[in-house]
Amino acid sequence: MNKWLRENLWRHAFAVFMCIFALFPLYLIVLSSFNPGGSLQLTSFVPRVLSMENYKMLFSSPKIPFLSWVKNSLIISSAVALSSVVIGAASAFAFSRLKFKGKKFGIQLLLLVQMFPAILALSAVYVIMERVYSFAPSIGLGSQGGLILVYLGGSMGVNIWLLKGFVDSIPAELDEAAKIDGASPVQTYWLIFIPLATPVLAVVCLLSFIGTFNEFIVARLFLVEMSGRTVAVGLQQFIGGQYATNWGAFAAGSILASIPIVIIFLSLQRYIVNGLTAGSVKG
Amino acid sequence: MSSIFRGNFALFLKIAILAGITAILSLLAQSAFASSQIAIGTYLVIAVVVLNFTYFTKVSIPLKFFAPGILFFIAFVIAPIIFTVIMSTYNYQTGNYISKDAAIEQVLIRGVEPDASQTTFDLVSGRSADGSYAVLVSDIANQKFFISTENELTYVETGQLTFNEYGVAITAPGFSVTSVDELATNDAYSKIRYKYSDGYYIIIEAQGVGAVFRQSIAYDAKTDTMKNIQTGQIYVDNKRGNFALEDSPETMLTPGWRAPIWFENYTKLVTDSRVRTPLIKVFIWTIIFATLTVLSTFAFGLLLALALNRKMRGRRIYRSILILPYAMPSIMSILIWAGMFDSEFGAINNLLHTHIAWFSSATFARAAVLLVNLWLGFPYFYLICSGSLQAIPSELLEAAAIDGANPRQVFRRITLPLLLQILSPLLIASFAFNFNNFNLIYLLTGGGPRNTLDGEVAGATDILISYTYQIAFGRNILDFGLASAISVLIFFLVASISFYGLRKSKVMETFG
Repeated sequence: MNKWLRENLWRHAFAVFMCIFALFPLYLIVLSSFNPGGSLQLTSFVPRVLSMENYKMLFSSPKIPFLSWVKNSLIISSAVALSSVVIGAASAFAFSRLKFKGKKFGIQLLLLVQMFPAILALSAVYVIMERVYSFAPSIGLGSQGGLILVYLGGSMGVNIWLLKGFVDSIPAELDEAAKIDGASPVQTYWLIFIPLATPVLAVVCLLSFIGTFNEFIVARLFLVEMSGRTVAVGLQQFIGGQYATNWGAFAAGSILASIPIVIIFLSLQRYIVNGLTAGSVKG
Repeated sequence: MSSIFRGNFALFLKIAILAGITAILSLLAQSAFASSQIAIGTYLVIAVVVLNFTYFTKVSIPLKFFAPGILFFIAFVIAPIIFTVIMSTYNYQTGNYISKDAAIEQVLIRGVEPDASQTTFDLVSGRSADGSYAVLVSDIANQKFFISTENELTYVETGQLTFNEYGVAITAPGFSVTSVDELATNDAYSKIRYKYSDGYYIIIEAQGVGAVFRQSIAYDAKTDTMKNIQTGQIYVDNKRGNFALEDSPETMLTPGWRAPIWFENYTKLVTDSRVRTPLIKVFIWTIIFATLTVLSTFAFGLLLALALNRKMRGRRIYRSILILPYAMPSIMSILIWAGMFDSEFGAINNLLHTHIAWFSSATFARAAVLLVNLWLGFPYFYLICSGSLQAIPSELLEAAAIDGANPRQVFRRITLPLLLQILSPLLIASFAFNFNNFNLIYLLTGGGPRNTLDGEVAGATDILISYTYQIAFGRNILDFGLASAISVLIFFLVASISFYGLRKSKVMETFG
């Protein structure tokens, strides 16, 4: 018993301590979401009243178009995730499997550009989209269409790079066999590669979805209209702006918006951790 | 299956999709050219040509795969980077934001002066008999009433008018009054200069009020100068995006235009102490912040991985709880922490029974930033470390134990060096990520505390990237030129860090 204590006590103690650290803000936000008051105050660790007021407010208050925020986030994130995987997968296939002039240069360029954090070019993107707005307002600054284009285009470098890593890990024997049997690259792509890669593509698609869902600053700059915002921008403005003290509704909103992301994340955990490792190590 | 990719149907589909895309892009290109966005228009035309060549000829098979990706990549990744570099050589900022032609137009619009007695009139906006924009003006003092368009002024007899209770004429024959709603949406009414008398005209100042002005600035295209008509002063292009008086260059006409100033934004970083001092301060904090974050998240992650690196009760539960901070959308978590650090209503002060104004003190704000980033980051290193610990061959550890090493020695001499070797690229990547961790700083402290009264741009917790954002967007003055110069600087910093990381991993691949 003594030996068990010596060997295991610190392990459990430390793990429990870190678990409390990890859970504290999350517990607090759940608590506040049921608390009709407006702050992230810790009055007691056990809820005294269980009120659904904050949740009701999200869906009924005309000042908080929460549902349209969620809808906007879903539309923008799905559009970006799907199209970036469709476009990116084809490019990644070419960079991974086909031979062509300038391939090495292309890969090095992708690698180099990856290091340029997208946010550094924010003013340039802003100015470019401002100019697009001057002749095509529906895909320029301030429009969701423009935001989708910026996300989609901006994710190309990283996405092609990430997808190329995944494509590299799919054995090449099968498509080599297809090639010997006389299949053209286009046939190999659709008939051999895509069926093989579907699970991987689905994972990348979901990752891209999470990434877009989590994006804040471009959306903040782009979407000015209250009902056109994404969840992230809406909720931030909600606590930062004129409703400074309304943490209860923020808590409820952020819980509702986070749950799907947490579920996706936990179910993809394995791929995400591997992907992050693989990406950087190969990088 | 394969017939789908060969038959007539496939060909039809291909033609239909390409025709659609070609039509859309061509239309966009056309309107881009029409509003003189030459660069964007040209790129769209090139895109159309490339797409059609790629899919209707057999120029290159690989191109069929990556043409759309590359076109997007160039438009939204490469072009902004190039544009950033170009902007960094311009004085691209508020006051010098538009093109030269637009600036000349604006200078002329603003280059007016009121008449000597600063006459104003009550007026009603509408259309004249021939349908052109017009105002019905009431010169109540002189009891004169007239309808004025851009080119014409017609007096109206008092008997033909109807008046409101203030004696302002509101209807006249042949004059149709425009509704308030239309005035609110159509700004053409307020942009026109309505004829008054020799050289003077009426400008609508507010709804229902006009004032008499005359042009005081004129542009001479031949010499590219502006002239004050009344005083005869000549303003010349100062080559820095403004028209200025030759003998007193500080006297400039506004607005200016964006003009190349070459390396001035860069030299400012070094020579101008108002830029250099905060930049150095921010740079030092960025390094400290990124280093401490990597060290703390790695240390806690590793310690946890070590603690849970054996079969023990509750390990799965611990693991699923510990991963939660990583699974939450980070934006939400950061905002929650921001609320917890609130000085009056925040949970942290409740818990500690303190009244600390966390985000008003540089030290406390920095501590808060580091604590929150530890919370956000330790699960990642916990996951990575527990995976890597399992990858270390157990023979090594057993051999060391047989040789008489105690657990601490095994860890220090074998486990840690091996881990560091495996994980060094990830540590470097994490450093590079945190070097640019914009969301954390922006959403938690906004870079503050920052003494805005002193005109301070850099806050105590600002890192390079949030400082850049602050320069570009955060103030009343947008300064894209300077922000771009700092962006380029950051790029070289991050690129060298990452290349160092790459070289490390290459070394590992060779020996591992």
